[in-house]
Formats: sequence, C-alpha cells, structure tokens
Amino acid sequence: MSGKIKIMERKGKDLYERLYLIEVFKGMAVTLGHFITNLLDNSKLYVRHYPEVKPEIPVRWRGRHRLTAHEDGTMKCVACFMCQTNCPAKCIMIEAGERVDGKTEKMPVKFTIDLLECIYCGYCVEACPMDAIRMDTGIFSVTGSERKPFVLGLEDLLATKGAFTEEEYKKGGA
Amino acid sequence: MSQLDILLLILKVAFGAFVPLCFIAVLVWMERRGAAYFQDRSGPNRANIFGYRAGGLVQNLADAVKLITKEDVVPGHIKHKFYFVLAPVIVFFIALVSFAAVPFADALVINGKQYIMQAIPTDLGILWFLALAGFGVYGIILAGWSSHNKYGVLGGLRAAAQVISYEIPMGLAIVSALIVYGTVNLTEIAQFQGQLLFGFIPMWGVVLQPLGAIIFIVAAFAETNRTPFDLAEGESELVAGFHVEYSSMKFGMFFMGEYVAMFTSSALIVTLYFGGFQIPWFSTETLINHARPVAILLMLLLPVFAKIFTFWISKNNRSHYERVDDPRVREAQVYIKGIWGLVIALEIILFIYLITVSGGVADAILATLLQIITFLVKTTLMCFVYVWVRWTLPRFRYDQLQKLGWQTLLPLSLLNIFVTSAIVIALS
Repeated sequence: MSGKIKIMERKGKDLYERLYLIEVFKGMAVTLGHFITNLLDNSKLYVRHYPEVKPEIPVRWRGRHRLTAHEDGTMKCVACFMCQTNCPAKCIMIEAGERVDGKTEKMPVKFTIDLLECIYCGYCVEACPMDAIRMDTGIFSVTGSERKPFVLGLEDLLATKGAFTEEEYKKGGA
Repeated sequence: MSQLDILLLILKVAFGAFVPLCFIAVLVWMERRGAAYFQDRSGPNRANIFGYRAGGLVQNLADAVKLITKEDVVPGHIKHKFYFVLAPVIVFFIALVSFAAVPFADALVINGKQYIMQAIPTDLGILWFLALAGFGVYGIILAGWSSHNKYGVLGGLRAAAQVISYEIPMGLAIVSALIVYGTVNLTEIAQFQGQLLFGFIPMWGVVLQPLGAIIFIVAAFAETNRTPFDLAEGESELVAGFHVEYSSMKFGMFFMGEYVAMFTSSALIVTLYFGGFQIPWFSTETLINHARPVAILLMLLLPVFAKIFTFWISKNNRSHYERVDDPRVREAQVYIKGIWGLVIALEIILFIYLITVSGGVADAILATLLQIITFLVKTTLMCFVYVWVRWTLPRFRYDQLQKLGWQTLLPLSLLNIFVTSAIVIALS
C-alpha cells in the first residue's frame, strides 16, 4: 500500500506574508473597491428587491402540494397510502373511502397535509403510482398568522392549479 | 463665574455627553449599510416614516422600539442580580465618560479668557482614557461571571486575557507618542500636531510615529472588542459570549456601549495620531487671522459639495424595478430641497457674519466651529475604518491573538520607544 504522497506547499510562511499588514491592506483594498462601486451606483448591488420582484421558480422546484385530476375532473388519487407511508415527516393523513365516480375502487374521503410538519422533501411525489400528488404549484412562500390555514384539506389540494404546462413538467424530469 | 462661563460649560458637557449618543445611531447605520455595501447587498432600507427612509436611518428607530418593548428577562438561575444588572451599565458608562477628556476644538479665547474645549477640562488627558479603558472590561467580565453560564464565563475570561495582553502594547505605544509630544494633555497634543514638518507636511502623530500609530490602532481594536479581536463575543464558538444571557435593553446597553467605545477610541486615535481637531495647513492662528477669506472660501465650496451630494442622491435614491410614479424619486426631491435650504441658510449666516460681526470674537467662534466639524469628520472616517476592518478580516484564533500581542506588538512597541527616545535626544 504505497499511495502517491503529494506534499502540499504551505502558504503564509515567507516574510512578506508574515508581515501580515500588507496582506491585510490588500484585502481591505478589495472590500473598499466593492464599497465604492456600490456607493457610487447602488443599482450594481446583487440584490433582488423581493416583495416587488419575484424570483423565477424553476419547474423542478418543490413548492406547495396539489392533487391532480383526470381530464374529466375526477381525482387521480386512489388512496393507496403510498405517500403517507413514505412521508418522513408524517404530515399526510389519508382516510380512504369507497369510490363513487366508478373509476376505481378507492378514493380518499379526507386528504390532509400539515404544512407545518412538511419538510418539502418530495418523497410523496416520487412514491405516488398515479401521479396524483405533485409539488408544481410554484408557491414558495407559505405564510400565515395562525396554525389553522397551514392544514390543507382535500378541497384545497384539488383547487390549487399547477404553475407549469404538462410538457414543461415532463421535461423537468418528473 | 460669568454667564458666558456657565453657557460654555453647559455646551461643552452637552457636547461630550450627547455627541457620542447621537453617534450610536450614525454608527449602527454606518455598520449595517456599510457591511451591506461591502458585501454587495443593500442593507436595511425599507423602514420609513410617511415614506421617508433617510437612507435607512429610520431602521434605528424601529430597532430601538423593538429593544425597548422586548421582555426584560433576568434568568432564574442568576444569583447575583445586582451585578448582572450593573455589568451593562459599567460598559456603557465607562465608554461614555472616557470621551470626556478628548478635545474637540482648540482652546477658545474670548475676551482674553481661555476655554478648554473638553467636556471635563482636565490636564490628565491620555491618563484619564487609559484608566477608564481598562475599567470598561470589568463590565464584560462581570457580565460573563454573573450570567452563570459557561459561554458567558468563557467570553469574560477571553476579554480579560485580551485586555491584559493589549493594554501593554497600547500603553507603550502611548509612551513613545508622549516622548514626542512631551505632554499628557490632549489639547496640547493636538496643538502640537498643528505645526508643519519641513514646512509643508502636517506634523501629525502618524507621520512622526508610524509604527506607534499602527500598534495603537491594533491595540485599540482589541480594546473595543471589535473584529478581528472580538473573541469575547465569538458567536461561532461562544454563542454570544459575555452577553448570552442578556435581553432587551440590557443587551441594548452592551450594544450601545460597544458603539460608544468605538467612537471614543476613534476620537482618541484621531487626537493622538491624526491631528485631532487640526485642519491640515490651517492652524488655529491662521484660521482666526484669515477668518474672512476662510468664510468666503466656505461660501464658495458649500454649493459645490451640495451639488455633488444632491446629484448622488438623485442618482441613487430611486427604485431599481418598474414602478409607477416612483415614490423614492419624490422622496429624493424632498431631500434635495432640504439640502439646498440648508446651504442657503448657511450662506446667509456666513454673509451676515462677513458684513457685520467679522473680526474679534466671531472669528474665534468660526474657527472653533470649523475645528469641531473637522474633528467629527475625522472621527467618523476612523469609525468607518473600524467598520471596514470588521467586514474584511476574519476573527483571530485565541492563540494567534495572544501570540500577536506578546510576541509581535510588545517587542515592536519597546523597540519603538528606544528608537523614538534616541531620535528625540539626538535632535534636542
């Protein structure tokens, strides 16, 4: 076992660098350069003026969840509990019931996601065999002044629309 | 005491007490906006009163309201509540009082009587500062100890060790400066620096004592617990160090004390090494004897500076995104009108001064006012250096700090004393 030994050159040992002050002044010149450019023209700041200028959300961004529907408006979810089983944060609570629209046998009667528990890992989306749950709403800012609105029910999840077209979403690698 | 004596006494004490307090707001603003600009961010610029943001200064009011209305917690495990409350008071008070001996203008002569422009007209000068600066750290140690918290105690210990190591090079740097100046009185030190070296270089301390100036500035950074020597706080290893258990205005006192200490030590660095209140090439006598040309020069320069400043405001005080009827542009127009109003007022005052009261006492007062402004500008620039260094250099490791203090600064300052005294003796 004789691996290649590469001896790294130690920096900071020669007198010039050990004087320290010269290097300090060099560093200070760099920061002052930034300060002066920004002071003279503050449009050069690398800042997004956030609430007014929204960031561009890419397709693969894991935003707030939604439940998808077939083209005829019936929900795709078959209450297989895959997402609930997979969820590491245990934030999905499904209650299954008998299907009434004749598509399959089962459908969720209740489908609750507690956004305060959710860690936005996207495992539910990956686990879903029916492509029924997606995180493509593009909603990145989930805020509220009390706990209740953070618990999404079946209606809320179905009512939210995706922010991207089907082609874009497929191209995103989902 | 005549009425004039009492008036000047009140003015001096008010200056010594309120200017550091006002500078807290300015320095906090300078630190936050400055830090942002150093890092290509924009910093707090949203807080406003009726849309007027004053470049972000309004944020200070919001911070103050927040700190004052916060719950003032004294943790239950603290046994010595008196010392716990006393610690921030010491830090703040010592920082404020040590400014009292710093002269902010040359001695004002009215009717043949001299008025020393220090809040406390004492001859102690630099000794006053040395005595108090060492005492300020007691507040930090007391805070760390009485918090009954391991991080607090470690922060306090570090502050104590740091001050012991850096008081010595600082004191020795001052010794070599005192050899040059031949006095401990800060007003006389600043007067000494009004002379010219070889007839054209201002005889500032930094020219006569370059090594001493560097040692003193480094030690002053360590004394005020600012980066790169803020090991007492060291949030990456000690959470918040000595003030970890403090909340609300008790934390606010530490916070304000840090900025007052920064202001005071900047004022002292300026007084010792950057000519104090002296305007380069314009000594007090020159100012008083040529008061009229100086006033005319001021009247000419004021609109030029105002023009540059208003141009800068109108260029930068606008929104950088699509906005209908940009309120920031309207805000900028108000500021510009305010600045021109101020300029016109100053021009009128200077004009009245020129045609009526110039010559005699008014000249001396004009010189004093100019020197106060010079002193404040220099101190602000030195405070900017503090901010600048803080956002450039990373924190020292503890052993590096001690090594720098004992193995580099101490021998250098001793060497500086020998060289300085040799030169002073050779020249005299």
